[in-house]
Amino acid sequence: MAQVETFYYDNAIVRKFAYATMLWAVVGMLVGLIAAFQLIWPELNLGIPYTSFGRIRPLHTNAAIFAFVGNGIYMGVYYSLQRLLKTRMFSNALSNIHFWGWQSIIVMAAVTLPLGITSAKEYAELEWPIDIAIALVWVVFGINMFGTILKRRENHMYVAIWFYIATWITVTVLHIGNNIEIPVSATKSYNIFAGVQDALVQWWYGHNAVAFFLTTPYLGLMYYFLPKAANRPVYSYRLSIIHFWALIFIYIWAGPHHLLYTSLPDWAQSLGTVFSVMLIAPSWGGMLNGLLTLRGAWDRVRQDPVLKFMVVAITAYGMATFEGPMLSIKSVNAISHFTDWTIGHVHIGTLGWNGFLTFGILYWLIPRLFNTQLYSGKLANAHFWIGTLGIAFYAIPLYWAGWAQSLMWKEFTPDGFLKYGNFLETVTQIMPMYYIRALGGTLYFAGTLVMVYNLIATIRQGSFIGDEVAEAPARVATDGAHKGEHWHRWIERRPMQMLVGAAIAILIGGIIEISPMVMIESNIPKIASVKPYTPLELHGRDLYIREGCLGCHSQMVRPFRSETERYGEYSKSGEYIYDRPFLWGSKRTGPDLHREGGKYPDSWHYNHMVDPQSMSPGSIMPAYPWLLRDEMDLGTLPKKIKVLTMLGTPYPEGFEDQAVADLKKQASEVAKRLRADGVEDDKLEKRDIVALIAYLQRLGTDIKPKAATN
Amino acid sequence: MYKYILESAGSINWMAISALITFVTVFLVSAIMAFRSPLGYLNKMSNLPLEDSILQTSEIDIRHEEK
Repeated sequence: MAQVETFYYDNAIVRKFAYATMLWAVVGMLVGLIAAFQLIWPELNLGIPYTSFGRIRPLHTNAAIFAFVGNGIYMGVYYSLQRLLKTRMFSNALSNIHFWGWQSIIVMAAVTLPLGITSAKEYAELEWPIDIAIALVWVVFGINMFGTILKRRENHMYVAIWFYIATWITVTVLHIGNNIEIPVSATKSYNIFAGVQDALVQWWYGHNAVAFFLTTPYLGLMYYFLPKAANRPVYSYRLSIIHFWALIFIYIWAGPHHLLYTSLPDWAQSLGTVFSVMLIAPSWGGMLNGLLTLRGAWDRVRQDPVLKFMVVAITAYGMATFEGPMLSIKSVNAISHFTDWTIGHVHIGTLGWNGFLTFGILYWLIPRLFNTQLYSGKLANAHFWIGTLGIAFYAIPLYWAGWAQSLMWKEFTPDGFLKYGNFLETVTQIMPMYYIRALGGTLYFAGTLVMVYNLIATIRQGSFIGDEVAEAPARVATDGAHKGEHWHRWIERRPMQMLVGAAIAILIGGIIEISPMVMIESNIPKIASVKPYTPLELHGRDLYIREGCLGCHSQMVRPFRSETERYGEYSKSGEYIYDRPFLWGSKRTGPDLHREGGKYPDSWHYNHMVDPQSMSPGSIMPAYPWLLRDEMDLGTLPKKIKVLTMLGTPYPEGFEDQAVADLKKQASEVAKRLRADGVEDDKLEKRDIVALIAYLQRLGTDIKPKAATN
Repeated sequence: MYKYILESAGSINWMAISALITFVTVFLVSAIMAFRSPLGYLNKMSNLPLEDSILQTSEIDIRHEEK
């Protein structure tokens, strides 16, 4: 018999992360709500660059994912890990470095994204110094987690801990792989991958950020907190083993489903589709395992708000993981992609799965940390219903809007012309849905405020237990597998072996999918007429990135007649070889811009930026007066040319020294054309707008050179 | 060499096939592993979240060696 030891769980770090997730939930949702209202009233940014839609959209997504859900993950992991392993966290210091480091990163993101400092890669927008900070803090978290596992009293690792380990190793690989970039300055870098390769790497990351940041850690939390709240063991531990291995192996392959019908080679698209459809099996296995855990306890679900939140969360997980594979089927994706359907889909995941599971855990956890009862069960129930209605009012209108807009994009008259040739007709049609979506968001946000009030009242009436006493027998060290023991149970006692096993499972998919794209040149056929951007166009492109234009405009004409009729020739992979980063986008709130070059005169673009509604009545694009006001900052231009040359862009030797002169020459030509059309500004050739116009006029013209002479 | 092998693979269909084979292997191994686990062990593991503090336990519980 091993000696029973007394020790203390560290609740202080759990409390810190719980407070942080509550705070950032409010902030992240508020920013999202502002963005939703800006889609109804574009002038709501008050003419301020820092609050414009293109800049606050990534702020909202980053806040929701990495601040709200991120802190929710750490709250749950720090609580459950200690108890599952019957030990205190490895190091109080590392716990605190992790906490304060992560909050500092969030604050840096909240400052830099509104300033327009972004690498333009969805969910990985933060620039390289912050990327390094993320990597360091993540390593601190890893050391603390593995240190805790190593000093455990419980020999075997419960399945929740496997999910935590898989999360840690995969996020490490994804974060590094997608952020290999060469710095130009402290606030600007260029990615080593370009065009199609960059797209594949980005969506390998982007999809798996959903998989391994929003899903696997939360599945770990589900496997711990649901049995805890229901006070009954998980329905099937066997199923959880299969769920784990099948899920992490398949998930990593599914990224290319974000790039169907694009210039990505067909074989990569097909792999993405096949594995996405297969994903439904482990995902639903996990969902059923969660729901069946409540078998025989459904009467309690009617009474207990914690279980109510968890049941809806798991149901939302099931809905999202059914919908995801369906959206990955090419014929469905042809309808859904670039529409609001995608936005509705991801919000079933974040509002339903992540949001409601976090709320359920908070309602369960806070009273226990403070040794008291929940302040008000009625308020928690009210939150549940307001939140559930909020999700419905958010998602259903967007499904409707997605279908409506896509069908309108594709509709032809009997004579063979586009029935809705003006893109704006398809925008004004779905505006009522945007109003209802904003109402849904408001409801969900209001529910969150009710929860925060309820939890603060609970905290105030309770008394915090910082160090919670516990007892467990000392661990009996075991070397190697025991006679008659199954080999997998040996792995479960060996965290490093589990780490390596999980790493192999996720690396197989990544390597097989990505390496041919990077190594085989024939995957991206070159086009002789495609040339590097001029310095002025490059500056304009960086402004396009800064303003977050890709949040609303794609640059990818898919090979459908409805798209080639509307926009022009479909996009070829060889057209993007100098695009660092790629800017294909994933949503068309406005029209695609890949064939924008030469479509309108320069002065049209100028006036459009002054007042979009004057050129396009009914448009929901905000005005960009600062582009007409601000002078070009060319301080880093030579360095940009140097870095791009180093990465393989074929600028002439020593071009970095001529770049500024080249830029000024082209700028004066654009300014001359603008003046000829009546634009009055003495410093026109120095303004940012000139660079942006030069970039827009270049877009898609390389394969139709004559049209470029605007 | 690696490039040559990849390029000579033509349409790279072997990647889809190898992916499927690898997945089926992973799935089967994890399924066999799960179904061969003894009931006592599975019960012990699935009850782990419910016990924050263990006052008494036996050597057998710790090692899970007995079937």
